[in-house]
Amino acid sequence: MIRPLVQIELYKIFKKWRTYIGFIAIGGLVIIIETAMLFEGQKSLDFMTRNLRDSFAFFGNLLNGFLISYLILNMLAVHIPFLITLVAGDLLAGEATAGTYRILLTRPVSRFQVVWSKFLAGNIYTLSLVIWLGIVSLGIGAIMFGFGELIVIGKDSIIILDRADVLWRFLFAYAFAALGMSVVCSLAFFFSSLVENAIGPIIATMSVIIVFIIISAINIEIFRTIRPYLFTNYILSWRLLFDTPVDTAKIVEAVIILLGHIVVLFGITAIIFKRKDILS
Amino acid sequence: MKTSALKQIIFLLVFIILLSVNGLFSQTKDPDVILNSVKEAFTVIEDYEVDVHIKIDVEFLKVPEGDAKLYFKQPNKIHVESEKFALLPKQGLDFSPLALLDDKYTAIYEGDTTINGIQTCVVKIIPIGSDSDVILSTLWIDQTRDLIMKVESSRKPTGTYTIEFTYEKYQDKYDLPSLMHFSFTVDRMRLPKGMGGQLEAENGKAKEKTGPVIGNVYLNYSNYIVNQNLPDDLFDGPKKEGIKEENK
Repeated sequence: MIRPLVQIELYKIFKKWRTYIGFIAIGGLVIIIETAMLFEGQKSLDFMTRNLRDSFAFFGNLLNGFLISYLILNMLAVHIPFLITLVAGDLLAGEATAGTYRILLTRPVSRFQVVWSKFLAGNIYTLSLVIWLGIVSLGIGAIMFGFGELIVIGKDSIIILDRADVLWRFLFAYAFAALGMSVVCSLAFFFSSLVENAIGPIIATMSVIIVFIIISAINIEIFRTIRPYLFTNYILSWRLLFDTPVDTAKIVEAVIILLGHIVVLFGITAIIFKRKDILS
Repeated sequence: MKTSALKQIIFLLVFIILLSVNGLFSQTKDPDVILNSVKEAFTVIEDYEVDVHIKIDVEFLKVPEGDAKLYFKQPNKIHVESEKFALLPKQGLDFSPLALLDDKYTAIYEGDTTINGIQTCVVKIIPIGSDSDVILSTLWIDQTRDLIMKVESSRKPTGTYTIEFTYEKYQDKYDLPSLMHFSFTVDRMRLPKGMGGQLEAENGKAKEKTGPVIGNVYLNYSNYIVNQNLPDDLFDGPKKEGIKEENK
């Protein structure tokens, strides 16, 4: 029963032109970044590895598709949530704005099925956006730069990963990124259940993300205490997949916390929607 | 009074004679002769190609072990081929004594010592002129084979590095390194945050590690092919990033 509902919701999502803004934006952004890296990337890489070059000679191609894709994935926390909220914030509030809530709920389906199908459709959109990001960044990266060893420059270490040891990390990293973005989707979906206009959920979700990121970035004691409770703190935990050895315990912890956020946010949304007095 | 003066003269004469005898029998070695012997011994090797296995041990640097093929041609041409990305220590990569002794220098013989059971003589080299990056180099030379067993060199701005060599005889006549242990100090990376996209202070309490650390690189050489008359154009390719010795 839920499958046709999800299909209907996906049809509704992909019929709106705004849905494609995210795909176009990501595609354009990736092309711009990769082109810029083609001209300036080597300089940046030389600058980052300048200390190492005093002692070592480098042989091989470090400026490659893997490095560019890694850098693009780093931008996930700030840019892609906005693209997700454009759709997720509209999932419930859009029905209220269009005045289609009552028609929708006269169908022989429960309210839970309605909210669940919308939630699934929103997450499918989120997943497709992350898959698209992976395809274009790795695909264009491969065409423009080819693949090679991946250099990961952390705060106090440099890791060079064998090219044969990288692709699986990217697959898991994109899966993890999709999970992180699902939290954003769930948050926007939750805000969407509270209001009757899609603008509110978009602004509210982005505000939460921006505030959380700023709190995470400012290094003072009180914020350090709060930080573990902010989901934004775990969205970039996919970076742990590019360490050697991979800290599995930390990744599992981050996955559990993010899943917890999704479950709680959806649970609250489902309760709100079930008890909602539909007047429009 | 006369007896006393005579005693003093005799004492002086004995002292002078003793000094002369000591001077005659002491083992003062000429460092230039030692170094020239090393240079000459190395000139029998016109060129070679060798497989290199690279193992890097630096605290903040995690690099998988790698392989490369190294080509060398006198006096100091180097070409490196690697299917994968490879990091190789800039200094001593060609382990050519000619590269070390290329410029004008003053050599001082320091004495003899033993390294890994091999008797070596220690020679210090101070470059003459201000153009050289080298401040001071110390060589431990096995005089029986005219081989450099160890090099300690202070350079600006990279600091001091040490290279220890283990040699094997190839084709029953060429003493070439089978293992090179390169030890050096290297500064931790200071990383700009922009490119890495470091949005959050990941662990505020953890103090950023700073300062130089000791690094070790182990190069294992195998499958030497010596004096095969490598063509010059092999070394004429585009310069590999960061290696000034690449194509001289």
